[in-house]
Amino acid sequence: MPMPAANAETVGWWEAAREHRLVVQRCTVCGRTRHPPGPICPGCRSTAAEWDELAGSGVVYTYTVVRQAFLPALADRLPYVVAAVELDGAGGARMVSNVVDVDPGDVSIGLRVELVWEDMGPELALPRFRPAPTAPGPTGAGR
Amino acid sequence: MVGHPGGPVRGRHRAPCLVGVGETEYTKWGGITDRSEYQLALEAIGAAVGDAGLALDDVDGLASFAEDRNDATFVAADLGLPELRYASMSWLPGGGGACAAVANAAAAVETSQAEVVVVYRALCQGQFRRFGRGPGNAVGSKVAPGGERPAVPRLRRARSLLEAHVAFTMPFGMFGPPIAYAMVLQRHMHRFGTTAEQMGQVAVTTRAHAARNPRAVMGRRPMTMEDYLAARMVSEPFRLFDCCLENDGACAVVVTTVERAADLSQPAVEILGGAQGALQGFGHGQYTNVGMPDDDYASAGARGVATRLWAGAGIGPADIDVAEVYDHFSGLVLLSLEDFGFCDRGEGGPFAESGALGWPDGALPTNTHGGSLSEAYIHGLNHVVEGVRQLRGQSTCQVAGAETCLVTSAAGVPTSALVLGRP
Repeated sequence: MPMPAANAETVGWWEAAREHRLVVQRCTVCGRTRHPPGPICPGCRSTAAEWDELAGSGVVYTYTVVRQAFLPALADRLPYVVAAVELDGAGGARMVSNVVDVDPGDVSIGLRVELVWEDMGPELALPRFRPAPTAPGPTGAGR
Repeated sequence: MVGHPGGPVRGRHRAPCLVGVGETEYTKWGGITDRSEYQLALEAIGAAVGDAGLALDDVDGLASFAEDRNDATFVAADLGLPELRYASMSWLPGGGGACAAVANAAAAVETSQAEVVVVYRALCQGQFRRFGRGPGNAVGSKVAPGGERPAVPRLRRARSLLEAHVAFTMPFGMFGPPIAYAMVLQRHMHRFGTTAEQMGQVAVTTRAHAARNPRAVMGRRPMTMEDYLAARMVSEPFRLFDCCLENDGACAVVVTTVERAADLSQPAVEILGGAQGALQGFGHGQYTNVGMPDDDYASAGARGVATRLWAGAGIGPADIDVAEVYDHFSGLVLLSLEDFGFCDRGEGGPFAESGALGWPDGALPTNTHGGSLSEAYIHGLNHVVEGVRQLRGQSTCQVAGAETCLVTSAAGVPTSALVLGRP
């Protein structure tokens, strides 16, 4: 996978991710959330913002099952699911991520998912999602 | 764009029109190896100027789009233009800017900044990195030829706003536009019941149009619905032939005033209207933003452009004889047809299924050159070329008596559109 690049507005999100905290940027004046992070609230134009930590649960808003390796390095990951996840408590904000630990044929719009972190190295962790258990049960050990 | 009060500068005689079109050969990806992409740009400019009956010495303006590598300032110097009086590049990303570049040229002509502006676009994808891999990302530099992941992934400093934005999509494998727009169609299918066969209708219909066009890259590759459905899945719901070509080639169009056009070799095609822009919160489009309102997400994002386009042109979708609709992906043609008002919201699929897009008998013959799916992917400037040919009566799928043509640019990014008319 290509490694992400950050600027002054987005680096805080990546630093939180490294510590396994999934956050969304929230305007401290009007409360509106925005993702990806940016320097100013598009609603009230305030530049004051904070990072809201999320529980990591959400619902699949839309998705695709990728069956072609657009990079050679991805061939061994095929097929994989890219999804836009609408996160609980994020004020409607959606994030692009993956649904993992699932048969791609079992993914659908509306599927409830939960957060699972993947450490890509000491400096980088990526938030991915897996289907949420429908009933209380034993928790897995990540991936 | 027409209708300014009369006067020495901005009278009706300065109304902009299209007087020349030109192109190089179009080939499959990597098919052109004897000239550079830049040489193709120069060649297409020369062809369009020649088609108009003008000389390169008449050209005093240049316009392009899509972060064109082929800088207008170098073009002007290398072609020996007597003086460069106008140069612009649209901010609309990728193929969103084709019609905007023409509209910008038209505005330059109408405001007397220049007399003859050439809009050009060259794409030799075989000579450069493929699209969709992000600006300056680490793909080339950090992944070894064998494809191994770099040993210690780390955050890098973004060199552009776009690079910082795609950092929120690319690490999750959303590399190419096919993946991003497959997600849009998935949502559209979920909401409206759009089907694979309806997307296939776009692909199969435009392939049939391409069969009549000697320039078309896929002109000799007939395709049935069965062929379409049997092709491999790229990113669900997109199969191979839902995705546009990747190819080599260049084209250009010439914009000048109706007054100047009167002395030229081809009938002038009027620019009846032009519009560009993006909806609130649409950002760079669904490729980098997925948080826009649901109605905008599952759309071409062109409703605002369409409203202003029809208002400015003084006509509506019912008045259009032929349409050249940007087709990077078959399904997004359906969404554009909805946004521009040819059918209701969610009805793009059934509209295509009815046979409306087919030449010669459809209600709205669409992409009569074969489009980006089957003629060539020149970021949609070839759609403008085809619109001009239709209104001159020179298309290989000529719509009888065509007097009006809608040309649209890329759906799913901030975009633009034109209404062209026969004088």
